Amino acid sequence: MSEKTILYVEDNELNRKIVRDLLRRTSYRLIEAVDGEAGIATALEQRPDLILMDLQLPKVSGIEAVRALRNAPATADTPIIAITSFALSGDQQKAKDAGASAYLAKPYSPFDLLDMIRKLAPEG
Amino acid sequence: MCPHEIEQPVEPTVPAPETTLGLGERIAGVLLTRSPLGFLVRRVAGIRASVHAKLLGAFLLIALLLIAMTALSLQTISSVSRKSRLLDQARERVDASRQIEQAVGLQMNVTRNAVTLRDEAAIESILREKNRFADTLARLEGAASPGEREAIHRIRAAEDEMLRTVAQIAHLIRDGKADEAMALHLNEGYPQYREIATLVTRVVRSEEAGMGRLRQSVEAENRQALLLMGGFAAASIALALILGFVISWSFIIPVRAAGGFLGQIAKGDFGATIDVPNRDEFGALAARMNEMSHELHQLYEEQRTLNVELERASKAKSDFLASMSHELRTPLNAILGFNELILGEIYGEVPDELKVPLTDIQNSGKHLLRLINNVLDLAKIEAGHMDLALADYSVQDTVMSVTTALRPLAAQKGLDLVAAVPEDIPVACGDGGRITQCLMNLVGNALKFTQQGGVEVAVDLRGDVLHYRVTDTGTGIAEDRLETVFGEFRQEDATIAGQFGGTGLGLSITKKFVELHGGRIWVESEVGKGSTFSFTIPLRVERAETV
Repeated sequence: MSEKTILYVEDNELNRKIVRDLLRRTSYRLIEAVDGEAGIATALEQRPDLILMDLQLPKVSGIEAVRALRNAPATADTPIIAITSFALSGDQQKAKDAGASAYLAKPYSPFDLLDMIRKLAPEG
Repeated sequence: MCPHEIEQPVEPTVPAPETTLGLGERIAGVLLTRSPLGFLVRRVAGIRASVHAKLLGAFLLIALLLIAMTALSLQTISSVSRKSRLLDQARERVDASRQIEQAVGLQMNVTRNAVTLRDEAAIESILREKNRFADTLARLEGAASPGEREAIHRIRAAEDEMLRTVAQIAHLIRDGKADEAMALHLNEGYPQYREIATLVTRVVRSEEAGMGRLRQSVEAENRQALLLMGGFAAASIALALILGFVISWSFIIPVRAAGGFLGQIAKGDFGATIDVPNRDEFGALAARMNEMSHELHQLYEEQRTLNVELERASKAKSDFLASMSHELRTPLNAILGFNELILGEIYGEVPDELKVPLTDIQNSGKHLLRLINNVLDLAKIEAGHMDLALADYSVQDTVMSVTTALRPLAAQKGLDLVAAVPEDIPVACGDGGRITQCLMNLVGNALKFTQQGGVEVAVDLRGDVLHYRVTDTGTGIAEDRLETVFGEFRQEDATIAGQFGGTGLGLSITKKFVELHGGRIWVESEVGKGSTFSFTIPLRVERAETV
């Protein structure tokens, strides 16, 4: 069992589709959630190997979600890539403070994201 | 916030200028607050009369005091001269009475000698002196008291009798009856003399006593006049001083109040009011000032409301731009993302002839994205929403990241890109990301407008201020455009934008970021030789400035 699971928490369907298409030719298995609340629930239930967390989310914000996941024993050590919005330069610091492992500013190149994923959760 | 904050230098507290009140001022202050004079000043101020009338009144009052003083002096002088005349008369009368006394003594001696020496010629002289004696007596009688007058009558009667006796004595001597003459003198003449002498002495005493009384009364009156005049003078001076004090302070108080009031207005405290007790021109002036203040306050309020509305409108515009930029970016993200996936051949092999247009799509999309990002940045700065993420950053790393990112572009154009950063620059504090953005803009511009030569990025620390310099050997900027290059959408030449790309917002944003850091940006340039863009920012920025 070498297949790694990635959880992508993002409310925008097109953004999710880009990542879905990006990972189609890799061995990563992608699971998705559309808001912070669902993201936390899915992460605790499925225990992915890596979490991509958009910071601008409905219901529970990405920052709060990161903080909640860090506080849960099951996901305390799971790598989390925070996807921050451009221009909100404070977001990077906030993401770091909340416990994100890395961050990527939107708009990002899909291939840069793939590089980052491979670094934090190498393909089996 | 930066972890190692440098102590803000404590601003030297400028001591408030000591209000050095002169002694006179302090005395006036005490008089105004702790004596009835203060009340009087307010009452005088409150008199419904013009300043002119008040001043005229005060001067008239002082003039009246002077007139009264003069009248009193004249009266005193005339009284004194009258008294001294009386005193002279009294002295004359005393002299006259003494003359009579002497004359009586002389007559007695002459008579005795004549009797003894049987010399009737001597007696003749007494009889010759008779008229002078009567004159002197009459002079004395002129202003004599009733008692004295009676004594004078008796003297005259006794004198007449005595003169008759003396005449008889003279006859007797002439007739050679010396013994009879002696007997007459001893039995009648001498007692008569004695009587006259007694009467005359009484008159002399009475005149002397009268003169003494007169002298005493004159002295008493003089003393009294002196006291009266001194008292009057003192009262006049005191009254004049009080009048001067009250009048002048009834003018000084409103003038000072006006001064304070205008000071408040000058400081921007519109709506301040001035309250003076005056009901004269000063009162009218104060009322006008209050009207003006009220008017100013209203204008100020209107202006403020207008400003608030303007600010709201401006913020609405900025909010609109910010949200529009955000909304534009979401689909653009998708376009760029999918295009990149296509180019990355995620969906299958891409025919060669499609690779160029797909790359053009990618580049144009990125350009559009930069434009939108810059608009968003500007909108946020103008709406006051731009927060600097202040943290420690390394100046060396910042410059290195910029040169590393732009070296491919420089190499592509065959330009040198060099960095000169001293190694001993300490860790700085600020928004490293934004400073990187500024340098990217400046170095990117420099590379864009340079065809040969190179671009140098240099940093040095002067005191606790970092000086960043980006120097190129490019086209340069005409002198008359140096002022405007930091404005929005101001590229040197509209054609340049087409030729070199760029959003026209980079310098404007760079300027704002530098200013948010409390710094300054400027450019020196010569057409055909190149440009140097310089900016300064504090080594450690503890809080963002408002732009």
